[in-house]
Order: sequence, then structure tokens, then C-alpha cells
Amino acid sequence: MDAMSRRSISAEAVHQFLYHEARLQDEHRYDDWEALWAAEDTLYWVPMREGADPAREVSYIYDNRSRLASRIRQLNTGLRHSQAPHSKLRRLISNIEIIDREGHIDVQSNFILVESRRSLQTIWSGRTTHRLVLQDEQLRIKSKTVLLVNCEQPLGNLAFLV
Amino acid sequence: MMATAASIPARTDYRHLVQDGRLHGSLYTSPAIFAEEMEKIFHGGWAFVAHESEIPNSGDFVTRKVGTQSLIALRDKDGTPRIYYNRCPHRGATLCQSATGNRSRITCPYHGWTFALDGRLIGLPDEAGYPDDFVKSDAGMVPVARMEGYGGFLFVNLVPSGISLTDHLGHATELIDALLGLSPTGRISLSAGWMKHRMRSNWKMIVENQVDGYHAQIVHGSLLKANRVFATVRDRKSTSPTRVRDFGMGHSDIDHASDYRAAGDKLFRWTGGIEPERLPTYVAAMNAAYGEEDARRRMIEGPPHSMLFPNISLAEMNIMVIEPVTPDISIQYTCPVFLEGADDLNARTLRRCEGAMGPAGFLIADDAEIGELTQMGVANLEPEWIILSRGMGKEEVLDNGVKLAGLMDETSQRGFWRHYREVMSSTAAL
Repeated sequence: MDAMSRRSISAEAVHQFLYHEARLQDEHRYDDWEALWAAEDTLYWVPMREGADPAREVSYIYDNRSRLASRIRQLNTGLRHSQAPHSKLRRLISNIEIIDREGHIDVQSNFILVESRRSLQTIWSGRTTHRLVLQDEQLRIKSKTVLLVNCEQPLGNLAFLV
Repeated sequence: MMATAASIPARTDYRHLVQDGRLHGSLYTSPAIFAEEMEKIFHGGWAFVAHESEIPNSGDFVTRKVGTQSLIALRDKDGTPRIYYNRCPHRGATLCQSATGNRSRITCPYHGWTFALDGRLIGLPDEAGYPDDFVKSDAGMVPVARMEGYGGFLFVNLVPSGISLTDHLGHATELIDALLGLSPTGRISLSAGWMKHRMRSNWKMIVENQVDGYHAQIVHGSLLKANRVFATVRDRKSTSPTRVRDFGMGHSDIDHASDYRAAGDKLFRWTGGIEPERLPTYVAAMNAAYGEEDARRRMIEGPPHSMLFPNISLAEMNIMVIEPVTPDISIQYTCPVFLEGADDLNARTLRRCEGAMGPAGFLIADDAEIGELTQMGVANLEPEWIILSRGMGKEEVLDNGVKLAGLMDETSQRGFWRHYREVMSSTAAL
């Protein structure tokens, strides 16, 4: 991404991208969500603690591009019991801070997500760091790290897209 | 006034509730049974707490639950692992609230009583305020009644008498040996941390599912459809050469090695079929350690897939620990097994653990979901009995007493329940 195209991406465009991604996740539009990702060399990471070293420590999710595709393929079978039926989801994205760097945009945001599944309502929350790049004039996710507020506590199933 | 006999609490008749081919549904739901399990199985028997590799240095500690009890496992200044109740002997405050850490001494957050790693009370504010008969050496941290280790796995028993850990483990030492024997040095490391997965099911359902060869096609059907490697690396049909085994003492396994051997001499099916050329360091170290022939056997057969009574599963290249919380809630902990001297394999083991296990894992999230549905279902009063007779009477019994059966037989679960019945029926005073 050169300096010109970087300047052309407004904060509003970044916000809209995050809201759009959130809606695709809430509505289990798996293929549309996967299409938001860059073509290769991506990382979808949900660590077990802040400051974790993923080369030595286990994470809840550490998906490279092909693992991410696997996750989507499994969800798309409609047979993944932990998301069949789907959880009902809605999330709010807020506290967005944009850090424009050479060649990419790093965006941090908070979320609160309400999951309804059978009789249980669960509140999830955390801070998300997106690294966005321009690919064919479109914003794409290069990496996404989700630091859950309760990541050090036992978690219930996290089979939906966070 | 009419004389009344002292009330005798009704004893649960476990010989009725646990029969050879069927189980009473209340075993998964009754709070009274759950409370008795905590006493008889988790406090009065041997249970896994931690692995020595989790506390490599002096002052390293982890806190763990066994039954209802919070324990601190730490390494003393002289290198000895020690396990204490997580309770200040003074007024009872929790001593360590973090899951892991390193301390040169332990100070209570309430009144500042300070303990050495060997448990001694070494300091307290205004000691002169206690009467003359206060004995400082009697007010140290209290260790568990018994702690023993095997292969670095530390087990505790909260009562001072009873069978030894060796007798409790029985044939299970062979399973631990098989896991350690995949390491060129015979040592493993549980240093990657534990995934913590809250499951809405009874702890015994998780135990049973760990060694259930009958559910994979259904519960994991989505992964079989979506992932070619997972679908082809093992024979999961009812005609599979894979055996399930009941070792006695409640220990059991699914012996995948019997499938891998039958499928020929291909190494590393247990890693998802990595080509040996991609693990040159590990293969060379194994050959050097065990000789080519024996190393080859080990690399074909792979790790055990087993459940050790009551709370630890050697789950191939993961260790899983089951923590009962209430009759219908349990926490499953999962840590990948790193082999000393096998960095190339360990990096893959870490990523495979994340793919399969824990709350977002391609396998275990679905096991958790089915566990929850089972817990909800079994709360219904009828049909009262659970059927657990698959393959019953068709087992092959070896000279050493180990029972073998087909992959989809419920021999492994019956082995767990037979021992459960013995333990729960015992009237020995605790």
C-alpha cells in the first residue's frame, strides 16, 4: 500500500469494515467472512493470556490461512454439533483506535458479544487487533488477534466466529 | 416422650446403580452421589495434580483443584516437589490465587504470615502477641497426606493410608512408559500451558467419552467430511483392527497402535501422517536413543490414547485433566506434550493441539456439545437405565487380566465403572 492509497482510506471506511465483519460473523455468513481475509499468510489468533508467545504456548485459536479455511469448511458442513443449530449472536464494536503504519493499518477495538444458545445467555468481551491491508483496492484482514477478557478462565464452546 | 432411634443416613447402593451392562441415570445427576465421589474417589484415592516439568525451578508453583480441594504444587529450594493445601494455617485465607508463578517464600495476603517453600512458618507480624503455648513449628503450611510421582506425573492422595500409587496405576504405568518412550531422552515437558474448557456435563461422561470408539463417525462427522487427513489417517469402521482395552483399576484405552501396525510400517500416522523426512532431528535422535529397529516400532505405534482413573487422560500428544465442579459442570484442561529433544515435532504438536482440542477445537467443541445434550437428556426420569452392554461377553481376556475388544465396544467404559463401583461401595472409614 503506498502513501497515496493509505491516505485515501478514511477512518469511516475502517469503521464500516469492522461493522460489516461483525455482522457477517453474527449471521454465520462463513464464506462471506472468509472472503474478507487476505489470500495468504494470514493469522487468526485467540491467545490464552495477554503477552503470550504462540511459538511456545498453546492458544485457543491459532489459524494460518489453510487452518482458517478448514474451520470454515467444517462449519459449512452444517454437521458441526457445537454450531448446529447456530448460536444466536449480536456484537457491538466500540473504542476503535486506528494506527496507520507503513504498508498496513492496525486497528484496535473493543467488543461485547451476546450469545444465546438454548436456555443460556453468555456475554463475551475483549479487545481485537486487526491488521488490514489493501488487496485489489479492497480492505482485507491480514491478521486478527482477539484478547478475550476472560481468556485465562475456563471458556465454554467457542465454535462460532469471534 | 417416645424414644427414637438415631437416624441412619440411607446409603446409596452402588452395586444396584452400576450393573455390568447398564447404569442408573442418577449417577450423573445426583448431588449426593457427586459429594460422595469427591470424598471416596478424589480425596480418598489417587488423583493427578501436576507434572514436574510444570515447576522446573525452585519456587515455581501451580495451583490445582483435586475434588473440592485447592492445592499448591511447588518446587522446594532443594529441588523437591511439594504439595500443600492452599490455605493459611492461621485464619484460613487462600495463600496463592494465581494459577502459576514463582515465589521464594509464600506470604498470606491477610495477616502477612510467611512460609518457606518447605512449609515452615518463618515469619509473622507481632509474634510476641501469641501465648506461650503457641508453637511456631506446628503452624506451617499443611502438605497433602501422600504425594507420589511416576514419570514426572505427580499424584496425591489426601488420606494417609491405603494402596500405593504403584498399585493404583497397575498396568497404566505401561501407558505412561509408552508416552515417555516417544521422547529420545525419556522426558516430556508440559510447558505450553493448559487450555481450560468449561463443559456442561458430568465429569464421568468426559471420562467415558475419552475412550469411546463408537461416537467418532457421528459426533465428528463434520470433520470427517471437511478434513481429508483426519478422515483417512485411521480406520474408524466397526471392523477396524483397533482394540479397546480394559486394564483394571478403572484404566482403559483405545489402542490405535493396533491399527497403525495392521496398516503397515508407515511412521507417524499419529501425527496426522507427517513424512519422516520432515522430522529429521527427531528421527535421528530416536534412532540414536533406541536403535533403529526399536525406534521404528515406537514411531509407528505412537502415543497412548488412554484414560487413567479418575482424572487424567494421556490423550495421544496431549494430556487432558478432568475437574468436576458440580454434578453437571466440569472443566477439561488440555496441554500439548512436548518431547525433550524433538523441537521439530513439538512445533507441530502445539498447532495440532489447537486444531483439535479445547473450546474452539475441531473435535472437542463437538464432544462438549454432545456432553451437554447428554446431561440434559439423562436428567429425564425415564427410561431410568443407560445401556452399556455393547460387546459384552465377547472380550478377549489376556493372561495378565487385560481385556481386549473391538473399537466400537463399550469394554473400556465398563472397566471404568467396575472400578468405580468397587471404590464407591467401600465402607472403609475415610
